[in-house]
Amino acid sequence: MGEHKRKKPEHLPALGRLLLWVDRPGSANKIFWALAVVCALLFVLDFTYDKHGHFHIEELPGFYGVYGFVMFTALILAAKTLRIFIKRPEDYYGDRAVDSEEYPADQLDKERYHAD
Amino acid sequence: MLTDPWPTAFLFFAAAAVLPLLPKGLLRALLLLVVPLAAAWQIWTLDLGTFAQVEFIGFQLDLMRVDKLSRVFGLIFCLAAFLGNLYAWHVRDPVQQVAALLYAGSAIGAVFAGDLITLFFYWEGTAIASVFLIWARGTKAAYHTGMRYLIIQIGSGVILLAGVVLLYRETGSIAFERMTLGSVATWLIFISFGIKCAFPLLHNWLQDSYPAATVTGTVILSAFTTKLAVYALARGFAGTEILIYIGTIMTLFPIFFAEIENDLRRVLAYSLNNQLGFMVVGIGIGTEMALNGTASHAFAHILYKALLFMSVGAVLYRTGTSKASELGGLYRTMPLTAMFCLVGAASISAFPLFSGFVTKSLILDEAGAGHHPYVWAALVFASAGVLSHSGIKIPYFTFFAHDSGKRPAEAPTHMLWAMGITAFLCIAIGVYPDPLYALLPYPVEFHPYTMGHVVGQLQLLCFALLAFGVLMRTGIHPPEIRAINLDTDWTYRRFMPAVVTRVADAVSQFWSAKMRFWLRRVEAVVGRLFQVYGPEGRVAQSSPTGAMVLWIAVFLGVTLIVSFLS
Repeated sequence: MGEHKRKKPEHLPALGRLLLWVDRPGSANKIFWALAVVCALLFVLDFTYDKHGHFHIEELPGFYGVYGFVMFTALILAAKTLRIFIKRPEDYYGDRAVDSEEYPADQLDKERYHAD
Repeated sequence: MLTDPWPTAFLFFAAAAVLPLLPKGLLRALLLLVVPLAAAWQIWTLDLGTFAQVEFIGFQLDLMRVDKLSRVFGLIFCLAAFLGNLYAWHVRDPVQQVAALLYAGSAIGAVFAGDLITLFFYWEGTAIASVFLIWARGTKAAYHTGMRYLIIQIGSGVILLAGVVLLYRETGSIAFERMTLGSVATWLIFISFGIKCAFPLLHNWLQDSYPAATVTGTVILSAFTTKLAVYALARGFAGTEILIYIGTIMTLFPIFFAEIENDLRRVLAYSLNNQLGFMVVGIGIGTEMALNGTASHAFAHILYKALLFMSVGAVLYRTGTSKASELGGLYRTMPLTAMFCLVGAASISAFPLFSGFVTKSLILDEAGAGHHPYVWAALVFASAGVLSHSGIKIPYFTFFAHDSGKRPAEAPTHMLWAMGITAFLCIAIGVYPDPLYALLPYPVEFHPYTMGHVVGQLQLLCFALLAFGVLMRTGIHPPEIRAINLDTDWTYRRFMPAVVTRVADAVSQFWSAKMRFWLRRVEAVVGRLFQVYGPEGRVAQSSPTGAMVLWIAVFLGVTLIVSFLS
């Protein structure tokens, strides 16, 4: 909480202040479990109506949920593996690529919210 | 407004000519807003038909073919130009302003082109005008990136021209109508469209150049070039089966790269590539509903993609970086930008009540109805992939996640307005899709909000979100790190130059070895001559006068022989 005080939450815009809730200890847990409950409800909902898709597999209860979960995980793992092979330092292409250069400051308007 | 309709593109060109004459500031920025609105009004009020036919070196050019397909693309291009220019309200650089007008005008002109020659001119127009939005960044890197972009874009135009010439020789027509792949001519045109549409292996100009443009330039770039290519494919190659598979690969490969990319504007470029894939699949299926799906998805996509680029652009504008590793926790001081970003994220992820849902399901449904099980499964997978990079990664690592300690001010008012209007449209299309459906090329018999659609899509997205939660909590999710990833552009940025350098080295070494060999021979001969005739040589030992007389005698003899023979 001390950290919050240092950053003067009372000076943040109202919406920003409201959103500070997500960084409270335990909030991340709550969001995660709320999401789990939503998923469970969506799964149960699959039994309540007549499913008719283009393919038989769509008619399995919870097909989309399981497919989404498994494929998302697979995607992340595959991407993580891919990174091992294709990762390079930011200046790999030297000064002919924008990756390692600063964005020209004269085209920006770097305004700070509060001098805190 | 205009009794004899002008080609809509000319409005933009006229404005581009007038703009530098206006005083710098408000008037110019206003002109940039008025022109797209006037253009949209013109398109909206024009009857369907072909106008503005002109003669050009013996060809009849149709500058303004208004039908339902070109109209919907023309309208969204005007809307995108308006929103992009509103977002760029603060820009006072006339080069960018004129480029934005010429670029939007060329794209709109290309959409309404009824023949391939007009299409070619506008096709190159978009390339030349748009590169200034990259060069306007003003750095050496931007210059080189712009050059790479320009070479590929102009290349696409040259290939198009070659295709058009061959097609004219074959068929005697330059009309821009549906074509069938088979001849060299149609293949060339197809490849030219494919380059601009960022087909797999022809795609990397997109991820290379868009993150290099200016804050506002990227927003404007994101709308036109690739969607013009989608339009051209829909017009020229609807129902071409190979497009189904090209499109499917396009939806898949970028999601892996987007996942591990650090520059968020490049993440969005990969994501753009993935969304184009859905549209290309729709074109490949080629049924009326699938083409409706492509047109409506392009419409919705331009809006939510612009919105995402705007929100990341606003962050770049305020913090100086768009790298995920440097950002986080910005919701505290940029909450409105964060909310608009979330609307864009929900729209691209196709959450029910957001625009992507009512347009993408048209394509997915047609893939199912056409019995393409693998394509369908891939598209559903790609939909989960979209959620992972555009739905989660962009908003989460920018505005939430760990606190970067950055406390930038909220985006400027005009940017907030641009984002707000775009976000409103994303939701409006999602909640009430009927007006958009009414604009589509064919009548729509489709109800996105059935129990099956909604629950299925929510399951897919919520379970994928849950997977994200699990991966984050277990620490498996890859962290955002300062690095770049290789893509196929490595072949022409590193591999080919390296090969060329090696070959050049080898050739020059061989050359110099050869030179050395001959030089040594010449040196030896010279040395020998020196030895004989030099000051210390044997010839020099006899009296120089005697030698002179001897030589004169020799010359005299030669002269006599020559004059005797001739």
